[in-house]
Amino acid sequence: MQANDVLAKAELLRRQLSSSFRDEIVKSLYAEAERIARRAVKVHGDRTYDLDQQIDRLITSPLTGLPIMLLLLAVVIWTTVEGANLVSEALAAVLFGIGDAMRALFVQANLPWWITGFVWDGVYRGLAWVVSVMFPPMAIFFPAFTLLEDLGFLPRVAFNLDWLFKKAGAHGKQALTMTMGFGCNAAGVVSTRIIDSPRERLIAILTNNFVPCNGRFPTLIMLATVFVAAGFQGWVTSLIAAATVVGVVLIGIGFTFLMSLLLSRTILKGEASAFTLELPPYRRPDILRILYTSLIDRTLFVLWRAIQTAAPAGAVIWILANLPFGSSNLAAAIASWLDPFGHLLGLDGVILLAYVIAIPANEIVVPTMMMMYLGAGMMVEGPGTAEAIRTLLIGQHGWTLLTAVNLMLFALLHNPCGTTILTIYKETKSVKWATVSVVITLGTAFLVTFLTASLARLMGWA
Amino acid sequence: MSPITWIALLAALALIVFLPRAGLLAQVRHYRTVRQREQVEDALKHLLDREHQGSHASPESLAGTLGLSRAAAMRLVESMEAQGLIETRGNQLHLTAEGERWALHVLRAHRLWERYLADEARMPLEKVHTEAHRREHRLTAAELDELEAALGHPTRDPHGDPIPTREGNFAREMGTPVTAWPADSPARIVHLEDEPALAYEQLLAAGLRLGQDVRVLERTPQRVVLSDGENEYRLAPAVASNIYVAPLPEHQRLPDQALPLAELPNGQAAEIVKLDDAVQGLTRRRFLDLGLTPGAIVYPELQNFFGDPRAYRVRGALIALRKEQAAQIWVRPLEPTR
Repeated sequence: MQANDVLAKAELLRRQLSSSFRDEIVKSLYAEAERIARRAVKVHGDRTYDLDQQIDRLITSPLTGLPIMLLLLAVVIWTTVEGANLVSEALAAVLFGIGDAMRALFVQANLPWWITGFVWDGVYRGLAWVVSVMFPPMAIFFPAFTLLEDLGFLPRVAFNLDWLFKKAGAHGKQALTMTMGFGCNAAGVVSTRIIDSPRERLIAILTNNFVPCNGRFPTLIMLATVFVAAGFQGWVTSLIAAATVVGVVLIGIGFTFLMSLLLSRTILKGEASAFTLELPPYRRPDILRILYTSLIDRTLFVLWRAIQTAAPAGAVIWILANLPFGSSNLAAAIASWLDPFGHLLGLDGVILLAYVIAIPANEIVVPTMMMMYLGAGMMVEGPGTAEAIRTLLIGQHGWTLLTAVNLMLFALLHNPCGTTILTIYKETKSVKWATVSVVITLGTAFLVTFLTASLARLMGWA
Repeated sequence: MSPITWIALLAALALIVFLPRAGLLAQVRHYRTVRQREQVEDALKHLLDREHQGSHASPESLAGTLGLSRAAAMRLVESMEAQGLIETRGNQLHLTAEGERWALHVLRAHRLWERYLADEARMPLEKVHTEAHRREHRLTAAELDELEAALGHPTRDPHGDPIPTREGNFAREMGTPVTAWPADSPARIVHLEDEPALAYEQLLAAGLRLGQDVRVLERTPQRVVLSDGENEYRLAPAVASNIYVAPLPEHQRLPDQALPLAELPNGQAAEIVKLDDAVQGLTRRRFLDLGLTPGAIVYPELQNFFGDPRAYRVRGALIALRKEQAAQIWVRPLEPTR
């Protein structure tokens, strides 16, 4: 018989198959697997099963489920922010120490000032800053997140919250990718791979940026402490500041749902996909594996992408701050040119320019802003105390409470950082979706800040 | 401006217009050939459609279907005749062997695309046709073979229309319109005609779908009433005539106690009888991957505080399904043993 005859015969036979033959094949595979398992696996009593069920009832009950969930999220974020502070400072001391030493070496060798400045105050400083503020929070958040995942807790969160995501036309597993976004939006975008329907996955990707990542928390906390809670005394200050940050996070989650709903009604219209979610049994976590996956797969992966974008940004920031233009430098000129537009949004030109040139990582937005406000030639930490920051921003640069509030909103809603945009492009393999992700977030940020600014001015608050 | 600037400007302009492939002129020409090809293919499909209905296309029917003026339709007919795709006999248009081959290729592309869009891209059924119509002109026969293999050699499109094979063979039986089906004898919906789109959308909105088992309860010139044992569907006869049914295959009838998994009470174990025929592609594969196969025992174990989704114990694993998914799995409740 010729090959063609065989193919023709196969074609003929295929037409005679009943439509459920695939089901039958899978069924027989399972039957075989069960037969082997019965022979090879011995089951001794099933005590963990009852325990599992009791934990499940606790975690998925309306009374205890939601509080447990929120509490764990709060603990993870608090540990990350607090723990990262200590490590960041140490890391920064080392990295900037190296930078200063090398810089001194360059000066000694009598190299032109612009080479020294470009290399050490520009490129290296950008790199060192991103590494020292980005690495520690990720190194704490990701293992904690992976631990919860490994324990089997996170799938239950998706199970609990699915009804909300279903209403927004999204997938319950988006609860997981959203939570991952608190650690890093780029990692959140990568984690959407667990959603197997392309439509719902795109929704999760495009809305991930609405939850603030580790890089944005310090900005939010600084603004909440220095401005919003400024008028209060003692322990009330921290309470007000904490409440403000939580409020901002909730606004972000609100926008996640709103945008998911809008997307699933407009450009990403389609049927709800097969929602299937496995709830694995609770397991003792494998610490080594957790450390490996969270540090190698997530932390270093994201850090490497951030470094790729941070170096050129450091160079651009330095050039803008040191290239003379008119009576001042190029950065100041662009900032004053952007000022009217910034004012319209309740912000100012410096803030907008900082968001444009510090696009690679949210962590360097505030240092860039401070550089311009202080007229420094490189990224700098702001003044040390809340009082000094207020004097600088309110006294010398015309900030109001509206500026602080709108900056918080802008930090929450604005476009994804360069790393995340790059990741969205790599995950969707489409320039179009990467562009859409920028357009919808930036559009939302402009619209919301414009509305709050106009409202505040109309009511005479600012 | 200096003359040199002018020359450079003119040269750049000339490049933009005349550049082969990327130039404006080349783009327009490319767009026109693509449009012409699409028009020819749409015309071929119209002729094939008429032949399947047992009638013949004419230049007038062609002009009507493609939205062309009579003169443009005549030009199209002449050019297609010159290409050896059709023959005119009197006012009737006939496909040549070559024309029929090409028409079947386009039909196959259309129906495979519909299958893909419905099963894999999960596009709403009422939108599938338009999108498939846009994409049907773009694939070669070899690419279609790949698409067909990737979809698992489907024989029907999501409306129940047969998909031609590469050789152009396909099952022609379409079932009987429900308006001609004897009252009170059980039938299975095998085809929902997707043209006119308005009637099709009404059928979908009413909740009718392929593979559903129905009975005709009442048939008068004013209305047709169908029942699937649970819901009643009242339809205008003009709409109902787009539903095609066939006798139930005897061995595939569901046992009487069968009910959708979504309606199984909490804590009641059941055995999966079958996955609904309407579940295809991605969703069906996911179900099978998770062990939700006919014969498997399921047990609703964990309920979300809003009732949806619900988690089921299957083969030792705990799997959460939304109501919509659980409604597509038919189960038979088992005697209470727990």
